[in-house]
Amino acid sequence: MLKGILENCILKVISGDETYGYEISQQLQKYGFSDISEGTIYPLLLRLEKNNLIKAKYRESALGPKRKYFSITPAGEKELEAFINNWQELNHAVNQLFHIGE
Amino acid sequence: MKTETKILNQENNELDKRLTEKNNVIMTDMVCYLRLANISEHDQEVVRQDLLQMVLSAQERGEDIKTLISEDYKSFCDEVIAALPQKNHKERVLDLIDTLLLSTSILGVIHIVISKETMELIYNAVTGQQLNFHISISVGDLLSYVIIIATGFLIVHVIGKNLLKPEKKHNQSKIKKFIICGAISGGLMAVFLIIAWVGRQTLFTVNIFAACVFILGLYIAHKLLQELIIT
Repeated sequence: MLKGILENCILKVISGDETYGYEISQQLQKYGFSDISEGTIYPLLLRLEKNNLIKAKYRESALGPKRKYFSITPAGEKELEAFINNWQELNHAVNQLFHIGE
Repeated sequence: MKTETKILNQENNELDKRLTEKNNVIMTDMVCYLRLANISEHDQEVVRQDLLQMVLSAQERGEDIKTLISEDYKSFCDEVIAALPQKNHKERVLDLIDTLLLSTSILGVIHIVISKETMELIYNAVTGQQLNFHISISVGDLLSYVIIIATGFLIVHVIGKNLLKPEKKHNQSKIKKFIICGAISGGLMAVFLIIAWVGRQTLFTVNIFAACVFILGLYIAHKLLQELIIT
């Protein structure tokens, strides 16, 4: 479940603008996801790519090796929309159960 | 024409040279682990390039590879492998055939070069004696072939199983090591005795040129199959 949430958070970051692994990990850390390194998200990026939710494009980088830039696909946008709806329902249910925000 | 995979492989070999010694050791282990996984050669090179890019960028930032991947390299590689398309049954069979074609052609060349008949042929050619262009294939040759191939597969399997394992798992007890070494030595001894006992019997003889053409055919088939497998 946590992996699924993290995958959708990655999708959200990518949906903003075309970006690469290190930048995604930095963005996630900025929002409070501690210990999220580029290595942690790499297998998730591969999975999202395999499921056609994101697509990758290599571009030359100043460091030498080509850098992989990711952008969201229409299927990824749909997936993200579905996740937001599900998350809101889940969030509401959990808040009700634990009486959070009463 | 060079395939995309071959180009990627060459690019990655160049990038490898820019790794620090420490990172190179870890990367080599991870790449070996990926090579033995059930994923296509193209995906192996793509992942290798992604990892190289990550590690080299981390190197530039002065970060350690442990910060990037954590020390559990095996779990990381397993997750990467799980995220990639697995080879299907047909692809696995083609891989096996390809390995057998290449290893048979290499062993064939070795057999021709070191065979008693080849030595005699060279000697007779130099001394001007009558030439015999036939070489014999014995039961021992066939047994050796099967043993070499099986041992090769076993070694690759054992290496793959033990790669990226935490150090403490390598520390087996002395008794266990002794039993394993004893079993291997005993097995090898038994094999050599069997080969010496029944191995001398000649199964058939073959013209040396026909054998060379056959071996060349196997190698060409391997090359063609490689083109088919690697895109």
